[in-house]
Amino acid sequence: MKTRLLVFIVLIATLVLSACQPAGGSISFMVFGDPAELAAYQKLVDSFSQAHPQIQVELIQVPGQSDYRKRLSADLTAGDPADVLLINYRRFAGFANIGALEPLGAYLEKSSLITEADLYPEAVNAFKWQGELTCMPQNMPSLVVYYNKDLFDSASVPYPAADWVWDDFLFAARALTKDVDHDGVTDQFGVGIEPSLIRLAPFIWQSNGVIVDDDSNPSTLTLDLPEDLIAAEFFVSLQTVHHVVPNADEEASEDSESRFINGRLAMFFNSRRGVPTYRESAVFDWDVAALPQKDVPAGILHADAYCLPSASKNKPDAWTFIEYANSAEGQTIIAASGRTVPSLISVANSPAFLDPNAKPANSRVFLDTIPTIHALPIHPNWAEIEESASEEIMRAFYGEASVDDAMLRAVQLSREIFFEK
Amino acid sequence: MTRLRPQVVALLTPYLLGAFLLIALPAGISFFISFTRFNGIDRPLFIGWQNFQLLRRDPLFWVAITNSILFITLAIPLRVLGALGLALLYSRPRRAVGFYRTAAYLPTIIPDTAYALTWLWILNPLYGPINDALRLLGLPAPAWLADSAWSLPALVFISLFQIGEGFVILLAGLRHIPAEVNDAARVDGAGRRQIFTSITMPLLSPWLVLLSVRDVALSFQSTFTPAFIMTRGGPYYSTFFTPLFIYESAFDGLRFGQAAAAMLMVFLATLLLVALVYFIFEGQGFDED
Amino acid sequence: MKIKGLLSIALSGLFLLPLLWMISASLRSPGLIPSRGLEILPEAPTLASYARVFEILPFGRYLFNSLFISISGVLLTLLTASLAGFGMSLLGKRARFRLLILSGILQMIPVTAVWLTRFLLFAWLGITNSRLSLLAPALMGSSPLFVLLFYWTFRRVDRSVFETAQLDGASLFQVWLRIAVPLARPALMAVGMLSFLFYWNDFITPLLYLRSQTLYTLPIGLLQLQEMDKTNWPLLMAASTMMTLPAVLVFSFLQRSLLWWDSE
Repeated sequence: MKTRLLVFIVLIATLVLSACQPAGGSISFMVFGDPAELAAYQKLVDSFSQAHPQIQVELIQVPGQSDYRKRLSADLTAGDPADVLLINYRRFAGFANIGALEPLGAYLEKSSLITEADLYPEAVNAFKWQGELTCMPQNMPSLVVYYNKDLFDSASVPYPAADWVWDDFLFAARALTKDVDHDGVTDQFGVGIEPSLIRLAPFIWQSNGVIVDDDSNPSTLTLDLPEDLIAAEFFVSLQTVHHVVPNADEEASEDSESRFINGRLAMFFNSRRGVPTYRESAVFDWDVAALPQKDVPAGILHADAYCLPSASKNKPDAWTFIEYANSAEGQTIIAASGRTVPSLISVANSPAFLDPNAKPANSRVFLDTIPTIHALPIHPNWAEIEESASEEIMRAFYGEASVDDAMLRAVQLSREIFFEK
Repeated sequence: MTRLRPQVVALLTPYLLGAFLLIALPAGISFFISFTRFNGIDRPLFIGWQNFQLLRRDPLFWVAITNSILFITLAIPLRVLGALGLALLYSRPRRAVGFYRTAAYLPTIIPDTAYALTWLWILNPLYGPINDALRLLGLPAPAWLADSAWSLPALVFISLFQIGEGFVILLAGLRHIPAEVNDAARVDGAGRRQIFTSITMPLLSPWLVLLSVRDVALSFQSTFTPAFIMTRGGPYYSTFFTPLFIYESAFDGLRFGQAAAAMLMVFLATLLLVALVYFIFEGQGFDED
Repeated sequence: MKIKGLLSIALSGLFLLPLLWMISASLRSPGLIPSRGLEILPEAPTLASYARVFEILPFGRYLFNSLFISISGVLLTLLTASLAGFGMSLLGKRARFRLLILSGILQMIPVTAVWLTRFLLFAWLGITNSRLSLLAPALMGSSPLFVLLFYWTFRRVDRSVFETAQLDGASLFQVWLRIAVPLARPALMAVGMLSFLFYWNDFITPLLYLRSQTLYTLPIGLLQLQEMDKTNWPLLMAASTMMTLPAVLVFSFLQRSLLWWDSE
């Protein structure tokens, strides 16, 4: 009898204790990313703790990028979001629109560590909502081509030149797509590129096309314009005609990025995100090149920023962390991991980012292309626009729909989503 | 016993209170929210039938409902028949029947997330064991989860391995049929098939109803984890089920009102399908036990 | 009869395949192209992926969390479900019937229909991001089915057994504790196993409620691994195997009551 009573008491105690929410640090910092990226954030947190021992930072890792948004939405509904968030400029408008973010422009003005002039204006503008700077831009990478120099060497293909064009790119891609062991199955692919709107966009701009009807107040995608279709046809033909990228089966079996890391794919399109992982896991010689060009030079912005939720219960400490993370010291630590193209002009031009001994040796490319970078429109429903359009692009890319049909459908669907605002 | 009513009520309190807080109350709130515009943060704003009208015009909602109903229509009969077959096969004590039963129940034990990832590997188009075997036999090897035509059937197929609970319920049902009944019928000259159709099936039907109803209700949510982990609703919305639609409406679009309206539709659809099940088994009486 | 035997063996093999393939894939070397032929055991089996799981994630922590939730969930469920089942078995005919219908209806309401509003309710109560949000169903016996299992068990017991105890002056609670529960061993084992699996498997609830990584359970851990390295099959299978193992252990201890009641 005694033991049963004891079990009973233990149970009740368990229940009561489990109702407590965990005592985190005095602030929490929510991120997503693979292990190498996380290690970089951990270094930042550790370094911050040394400089500010009285503030404890709990690093929270969310499974993936799309889960990040949903997790944040759930937390906002529960009134309990993390104190420091990392949000992409294509995603922050939805949260700013419902008043979930504390505008940081005013905090920045009062800061003694950093000023707006220290940052790249392109990055700053990407995070203005209704004229006010809402989040602190952390980085400003663009899309580049990571290439496996060893594979280029063994196929005797010249490395991508700084001003290479679509034809050069296609030529290299075809030369680097091979059936190495002659078993009828392609083992090595020339290109890996995600069939999504953000990957297609630079191709469209380079063809003199536009993504939306009005950048500041979009009401429809314009993917069905002639220039846009030219770009889309080229993009899709990489798979359907030239087969230089894995098809749906092949991608599902082993994704392009894995193939690149394992040395079985020659050119992979990515922003700066992949660098920490490639540094750690790629056993071949690699570097980055600018995007191949067409009629108009154009790249695409991929900026992320630190945001402070208005529901945070510890704004002063959270701002201290954000300020530190965006100071020269903080940005240098993250830049050293390779994760970012620093938004602070001084750090971006320092050896922390440009050191040719740290791969990619050609990091300059990220800075040289800044003048021609385009940003996507800022709109609260942009995440959904991208998802819906990307589904159509994927359909065409894997040969399940014609480019014209897919683009038309993407445009039609987008009107509904924009209208919902 | 009636003077002990208060004590009996005390015994039932956790259950009833829990059922109220966890099911009845949320269901009620859900009903009201479906008539509002609510983003989870600001106050709900009453908008009447608008959510339902928006749902009616939303192609994704219809895709989700269609997929869910398609899944249920394919999966439930197969699962119930499978469970019945297993129960009949393994109902009599025989050598090693315990082992056979355990093996049949084993896939049901595998946790949902691990189960989904495992099948993602097994059905891998290029490297997975199933396509390896198909190619060895010279048969076509479809892309399964990467092919919008095969993805939903693949999910139905996967669900057929996890029929352990139904199997056990029907085993219990078969146990309740006294052996004397079968023996008496045999003495009367009834053949095996006759015994099955005139005695076994009618006595089993309450259990079959129970199983089908439970499965229908569960199917509206059991598709969430596999679809989420394996395909995220793709390729091209072919495995986009209603739970996924509700989850994304609420937490991606912050449209709790619409999500609640969709939930109401799900509940109504469940009632309809359950009524259908009763209709199919009509006339077979429902025993309290 | 031979046919039945062969069929049984074939089916058993079929049902064992998913688990076998899971384990086999977990032993491959990551990064290499898997060989194209059919193989039960990979050429050079290695436990490297198992180690890697622990390198990338605090998997041990997740394991602890899952165990804590599952065991607490089981104990609480056994408590509340057997109490309710016992109470129900003592009611008069009409009340019993009403509760049965109620339980049936509750069983039928898809969780999908109450997910989100339950989330709003918990948010309002301030218990999101806590273990309680994961354990909450245990307050009501986790599932009407479990309550019904106990109800059926106690209905089979002769009333006089309970009544004599009461005449001796015992309260209903003591009758439950001293007499009813010991009589319900099979139900305890069945519900114990089923409820363990209920909590061990739960993916939606932690996905919805948990923000602090220190509370993450294994299903979320598996999702994290998938997001980090989508097609690293050995890694994902290693984590899956580790998550499946405790479930299989619990099952093997308790399945006798469910499946072996009449075999040699």
